[in-house]
Amino acid sequence: MSEQQPFEPKIVAYVCNWCTYLGADLAGTNRLEYPANVRIIRLPCTGRIDFNLIIKAFEMGADAVLVSGCHPGDCHYTAGNFHARRRWILFRQLLETMGIDTRRVHFSWISAAEGKKFQQFVTEITETARALGPYQAYREICQAE
Amino acid sequence: MSRIGIFICWCGENIARNVDVERAAAEVADLPGVVCSVAYKYMCSDPGQSLMRQKIVSERLTGVVVASCSPHMHLRTFRKAAAMAGLNPYLVEMANIREHCSWVHHDRQQATTKAVELIRMSVAKVRANAALQPISIPITRRALVIGGGVAGIQAALDIADSGREVVLVEREPSIGGKMAGLSETFPTLDCSQCILTPRMVDVGQHPNIRLYTYSEVEGVEGYVGNFKVTVRKKARYVDMDACTGCGQCWNACPSKKNLSEFDYQMGNRTAIYVPFPQAVPARPVIDRDACLHFLKGKCGICAKKCAANAVKFDDQDEVITEEVGAIVVATGFKLYSIDRDQASSKLAGYGEYGYGQYPDVVDALQFERIVSASGPTGGEIRRPSDGQQPKSVVFISCVGSRDNAKGISYCSKICCMYTAKHTMLYKHKVHDGQAHVFYMDIRSGGKNYDEFVRRAIEQDGAHYHRGRVSKITQENGKLIVRGVDTLVGEPLTIEADLVVLASAMQPAGGATELAQKLNVGYDEFGFLSESHPKLRPVETNAAGVFVCGACQGPKDIPESVAQASAAAGKVLVMFSNEQLSREPEVARINETNCAACFACVRACPYNAIERAEVRDRKGQLVKRTARVNPGLCMGCGTCVAICPSKSADLEGFTEQQVYAMVESLV
Amino acid sequence: MQNELRQTCRRLLEEGTVQVVIGYGDGTDGQTFPTFVTRRDDVERLVWNERCYTNLATYLTRPEILALGKAAICVKACDERALVVLEKESQIDRSQLVVIGLACSTDGVKQPKCEACENRTPRWANVTIGDAAGETAKTTADRYAALQAFMQKTPDERMAYWKTELARCVKCYACRQVCPLCYCRQCIADKNRPVVISTSATLKGSFAWQITRAFHLGGRCIGCDECTRVCPAGIDLRLLNLSLARAAEENFNFRAGVDVEAEPIVGAYSERDREEFIR
Repeated sequence: MSEQQPFEPKIVAYVCNWCTYLGADLAGTNRLEYPANVRIIRLPCTGRIDFNLIIKAFEMGADAVLVSGCHPGDCHYTAGNFHARRRWILFRQLLETMGIDTRRVHFSWISAAEGKKFQQFVTEITETARALGPYQAYREICQAE
Repeated sequence: MSRIGIFICWCGENIARNVDVERAAAEVADLPGVVCSVAYKYMCSDPGQSLMRQKIVSERLTGVVVASCSPHMHLRTFRKAAAMAGLNPYLVEMANIREHCSWVHHDRQQATTKAVELIRMSVAKVRANAALQPISIPITRRALVIGGGVAGIQAALDIADSGREVVLVEREPSIGGKMAGLSETFPTLDCSQCILTPRMVDVGQHPNIRLYTYSEVEGVEGYVGNFKVTVRKKARYVDMDACTGCGQCWNACPSKKNLSEFDYQMGNRTAIYVPFPQAVPARPVIDRDACLHFLKGKCGICAKKCAANAVKFDDQDEVITEEVGAIVVATGFKLYSIDRDQASSKLAGYGEYGYGQYPDVVDALQFERIVSASGPTGGEIRRPSDGQQPKSVVFISCVGSRDNAKGISYCSKICCMYTAKHTMLYKHKVHDGQAHVFYMDIRSGGKNYDEFVRRAIEQDGAHYHRGRVSKITQENGKLIVRGVDTLVGEPLTIEADLVVLASAMQPAGGATELAQKLNVGYDEFGFLSESHPKLRPVETNAAGVFVCGACQGPKDIPESVAQASAAAGKVLVMFSNEQLSREPEVARINETNCAACFACVRACPYNAIERAEVRDRKGQLVKRTARVNPGLCMGCGTCVAICPSKSADLEGFTEQQVYAMVESLV
Repeated sequence: MQNELRQTCRRLLEEGTVQVVIGYGDGTDGQTFPTFVTRRDDVERLVWNERCYTNLATYLTRPEILALGKAAICVKACDERALVVLEKESQIDRSQLVVIGLACSTDGVKQPKCEACENRTPRWANVTIGDAAGETAKTTADRYAALQAFMQKTPDERMAYWKTELARCVKCYACRQVCPLCYCRQCIADKNRPVVISTSATLKGSFAWQITRAFHLGGRCIGCDECTRVCPAGIDLRLLNLSLARAAEENFNFRAGVDVEAEPIVGAYSERDREEFIR
């Protein structure tokens, strides 16, 4: 039966309040259509976004996770995104070692002016997630006794 | 028990077209804790808001979710409405089903499903919200102004005139800054000192201004409303209180051949000196490196001549602490040094123009002194090398500015105007002389500015050549200026007696170090960053710190003065309250659980977290802990992510709220 | 060496320089046990032999040990790196601690980690006991050889490996208890409201826990491998630690605990940190 319906991935996006959230707002204002798979969670800054949240999203059945904030130098809080970037560098290495699919973990800088970039990027990661199919490996981890 | 009310907005057709709002309202009505779920045409309208207020009262709501537009649009509106109905405003959350849903998803089925999920997330969050109270911080209603140029003077006078105390710190022995050394000012050609010095005197005599000259800000502690500033008063070797400024000392000083900083090394001064006659305070200072008493251990003539016994050879630096509530930074500019500081600067310099090599190549500020009636030549235009009157002067604009290859991309803004002024002042004094200007564009926006430039060209006969100068050489006492006139389309060589470079404006030395002490951002060129380029032009991202004048970017005198008054206005707005009220969405530390690793202290972009100690009633140390200063915290949450034990948390975006949101996404 | 150690500790206790010596004592089955000597006559219980593999630094942050007074601690060169990190993280006051450095002879402690040993003599000890054996230069390839071998597997194989391995994790938290750098007063794993890491010993919880444990040691782990040694399920946790250690070295030129001057990389940043993976 699932062959009739294309697989619709679940995508969780943790975004900063000042850039990417506003970029998504701008995409809306400009009526830039994109797939309806993404669920945005608004946080003040990428500096606030902890790696545990990425794991939690996978535990909740996410097929892809997006973390996005202000471009370097544009952080509303001057340096939160720099701290975030350093953590992501380390975290991605750990994901690699664990064999967690890094094609499902996306990081981006999307400014308040980049509504178009938001639309395009969300479309792209949705298509990637569709092509990858459900994140079966992590679902199995979560279902194991 | 939560009693949540959900209010779903149609936004006319904006949401209702693609989201089945009635179905959404029905689907979320059964969520745990939800007691009412309604859809309404325009939630932000008066009837919409009053519907919400009625329900808050009638349903005794403990939380509200408004599903409508972006929280950037109306969160404040709905929080205010809730507060009117007696609900703590921080118990209101929004679900963005317009910008993030109905406007971007045209499949009604999918959009409605997503809207329901977004509402579910917000319900999950609001169930974990806490009532928050705005944070009140006491304010010390005194201001510090750093820099005593025209901007600092204006800011200090405006604040002082309103009845508040001001501490004005100036690094040089006198206030006045760059403007005190200018000849006449564009576009009116009124004498710079004539308009500035009365203001300087006002500062010196103002009962509300405490003036520290020859002093520097050494450290800044504390936070908005409550800064503790340490100021180093450098040893002046003159007792400021005893000295009458009579001048006996500097008239008698035998060490006379010291290059004058005020005249940009083109004139001399004595070892004990006032930088210029109208200095405020009119008190001299001894230059240790030039004074025979310090160099050779003898002399002391100034001390003998001083009837007031004001010379103190044993004077020491003094460190003073001042408590202030707001800080205005007005540290000004310097000119792009085209031959000096090359080692310490990434800028490429203009060796090809021979500055520092040929004495008759001067920069614009030096030319101001050459033209100035109080300058080293007494106002007669004579060139530095041989004191001859130059009959041909070449002015080169954009030296350093707008030249990425040389390291600066920005326009210094004032050079077009002062170069036009220079050609006029020159022509007014050397009637048979010819001024040439090499320029890229003429930027003369401003009241009476373009008319001024036209006057220079049309009435005073300056020759303007659109093009750059490639090289300057010296032959037989003449400067050979090789350039191009791109409008004629030919190379151009001019034999000049004097060349004046309109060098780029740069932030004054030490500005970035000061910015770091103040936690104020700055750009790649060292100009301090305003909080918002349009809407918050004099605020900075460090609460309670304001900027004005050329330290924020190149600007002329009228703009500097206007910005200074604006900064003073912002300070006074702050001072109009006895307490400062701040958003309560700030970090807090669970001090019981904090392991005191202080990673958060290192990470906090605002230095808002401090190392603290928990002591019992007997004063015994119980434990150490990180502690947030809510007056400094801006609520970014970097500390939360970095804290391994999650002893740090952020109000408004607590771990519990965020996890509740993710967990609602089953 | 053992006698010299005992004499040194006797003197420290007699003179009242310290109130407790944290060292090794003989245990059952030929093992050594962490031993806390508070009376000078008990120094005979202290031993030094090839079985002294425990990193005792973990006891420096325990309230019950702190309550005994000023401490002297026996460390090997590898253990000593923990003290550097602990000091940087404000957990110990080096001036209130006597560090007794024990130099490993060439046939010293026999543990897997000794393969990568670069420095057998502690560098920042107050007292060093034993011969100053030379240093063995190691390349990054040597340091991360085990990880390199593991990373030859495909991502799916790695995932399958951890699923098998972590299925045995019983969440006993021995890895946490033994770690000299896991000193939080309340571990995130024990936190409720919200539960960040599922507390049950399911695969889900074990994944979340080991990811968290490893990441919290990112740029901090000194590679003492105590977690791996004590794991009752025999899970090779070292691989996770190595992956972050290598990331720290490759990206930030930083190795935890080898340089007393270097500032921690956690809680810091550089504007030039790489970001080719960010879109």
